[in-house]
Amino acid sequence: MLDFISDNKKSLITLGLVTVIAYVFYFLDEIRTTSVLVFGWGYAVPLVLAAMVGIIGERSGVVNIGIEGQMLMSAFAGFFGSVFTGSIYLGMIIGILTGVLMGAFLAVAAVKWEMDQIIAGVVINIVAAGLTSFFYAQGKTLPELMPVVSIPLLSDIPLIGPVFFRNGLFALSTLFIVVAVNYALFKTRWGLRSRSVGEYPSAADAAGINVTRVRMMNVTLAGALAGCAGAFLALEAAGTFARGLTAGRGFLALAIMIFGAWNPMGALAAALFFGLSTAIASQLQADEVINIPQQFVNLLPFVMTLIVLSIAVGRVRPPAAAGQPYTKEG
Amino acid sequence: MKRMRTLAGISILALVLAACSSGTTDTAAETTAAALDDSNCAAAESFCVGLVTDIGKVDDKSFNQSAWEGAQAAAAEVGGFAKYIETTDTKDYAANMKQFTDKSYDVIVTVGFLMAEASVAAAKENPNTKFIGVDQFQAEEVANLTGLIFPEDQAGYAAGYLAGLLTKTNKLGQVLGLEIAPVQKFAKGFEAGATAANAAVKVTTVYHPPADNGFGDPVWGAAEAKKQLSQGADIIFGAGGGTGNGALIEIAKAEGAGTSIFCIGVDTDQWGTVPEAQPCLVTSAMKGLVEGTSDLVKAAFDGSIKGGNFNGTTGLADYHDLAAAVSADIQAKVAEIVAGLKDGSIMTGVTL
Repeated sequence: MLDFISDNKKSLITLGLVTVIAYVFYFLDEIRTTSVLVFGWGYAVPLVLAAMVGIIGERSGVVNIGIEGQMLMSAFAGFFGSVFTGSIYLGMIIGILTGVLMGAFLAVAAVKWEMDQIIAGVVINIVAAGLTSFFYAQGKTLPELMPVVSIPLLSDIPLIGPVFFRNGLFALSTLFIVVAVNYALFKTRWGLRSRSVGEYPSAADAAGINVTRVRMMNVTLAGALAGCAGAFLALEAAGTFARGLTAGRGFLALAIMIFGAWNPMGALAAALFFGLSTAIASQLQADEVINIPQQFVNLLPFVMTLIVLSIAVGRVRPPAAAGQPYTKEG
Repeated sequence: MKRMRTLAGISILALVLAACSSGTTDTAAETTAAALDDSNCAAAESFCVGLVTDIGKVDDKSFNQSAWEGAQAAAAEVGGFAKYIETTDTKDYAANMKQFTDKSYDVIVTVGFLMAEASVAAAKENPNTKFIGVDQFQAEEVANLTGLIFPEDQAGYAAGYLAGLLTKTNKLGQVLGLEIAPVQKFAKGFEAGATAANAAVKVTTVYHPPADNGFGDPVWGAAEAKKQLSQGADIIFGAGGGTGNGALIEIAKAEGAGTSIFCIGVDTDQWGTVPEAQPCLVTSAMKGLVEGTSDLVKAAFDGSIKGGNFNGTTGLADYHDLAAAVSADIQAKVAEIVAGLKDGSIMTGVTL
């Protein structure tokens, strides 16, 4: 516990600060604050999940710019899976499995065949956009709604409860997924191996770790999280599928991964920041409190990102071997 | 070697899919309405209609789809041939139009406000081709370019008037696409109509953040609609392609949808185009896109088309199954307003 606190000091301070500010607003205007935060967290969920995919990949040395395509395929498969099976739960499973399949595709192309990782990712994005547009059929409706689950006790906490603990299944799991990835990456043998493979693969190899196998496994399993993100968009957030549903969120997630310094908790804070800025931008428009053009208000998150990224330059560094295929010497 | 062959196979697959995909390249499809093809459009006896969509798909259940239906219907009626190209990038407007002018198409329909400048340029370059710009206001008259424009503010006004009478909370919401003239006219018309019906009403107006996907982001639309609902809005106007549709679908899921919570669609009668929204969809603020496009294409065929602007019609869609939720008094009052807007006795007072 103490380790966890000292390891994530910055993220925790940010999180604490945001919480305090949120409660101040909560006491000023309960309904507005809650609904803005619900919007913000809803916006952040797919970004966090997708950023986890990027983090797991790059921490083990594989750059994944195909997250957008992986999400899009999963959203498509999740939606039409539910439509054809008549069950939203089967749709969720189909969506996640599609994510795994897309992860496996990247793993085989980029790790096994040592294809250029960027090109492999681009191929995924193009294939996904192509397949999902081509096979898209109109007028299909989800057989049932994503159930909204309230976690007992936790969901009764003012503000935090309705925002984080009264949600659909994906949004509900996201916080736990982030904590689990964070723990696994820094506190387990798997995490140590993965990180060593991403930092110094030849040393890891010399220590007896099968670099190719670790990378294959990580990229494939991370695909499941891309599957969650995609299925969340189609089944939980929009309740429908449209072409290009992901709308660049997979790329935004890469920015969030960097913003969060390749750290799950950092990425969570970064995504929350993005979600909150977007929500506030829309609320300012709705309330017309300040009479400035909405285009300017909407620039807010991006300007802030630019500022934060320029401050963070030099202090954050990507995993050393990210993007480099590993070939065993000799 | 085997690995290379598999890789090559995957790349070819990707390329083929990319070529088929409308998400990455421009696709073209032909209507089966006419048996002709476009190999001899230059000939006097053949009549070819080409349609270039705005960013978005020809089956977007809204704007592009209606214009395409109109073009198809008109072409079929006069025994012509119609074909469309879907635009995926604003930079491709000119190139897509050129595909048609190169083949000497008789009429080119360009869909959407964002294509206005490109259409003017293309019309000036090809003085012998008739251009129809759907939703493109012509500030200067070009002889071979007709802008099909709609008094969106009137459709918005009528929808707003209905909403103003229906609301119980006196809070209305709008989930909109990009902040461009046609959408603004809808939005301001809605505000004006709502206030005219009910002075106590407050309208929340939120446009999608400026981005390429402003009209194709149902996830954002749904989240924004949810936010407005929880802040007390009971009738929400969703105007903005896929973004607005996302809002409608979200509202349809809300508790009380169809009894105390309603949504209003846009452009076409969305009862048919977005069936998921039926639980809350009380009406749609319609533009007569199909008729307008079809009328102009036919006018181009018989030569009666003129440059400048052509005013299409607007109106409200049927109440469908939710007619019971709208009292006879309100229905009569709204019908009166629609008629008044049409004959000019009611002005919306909307200026941009």
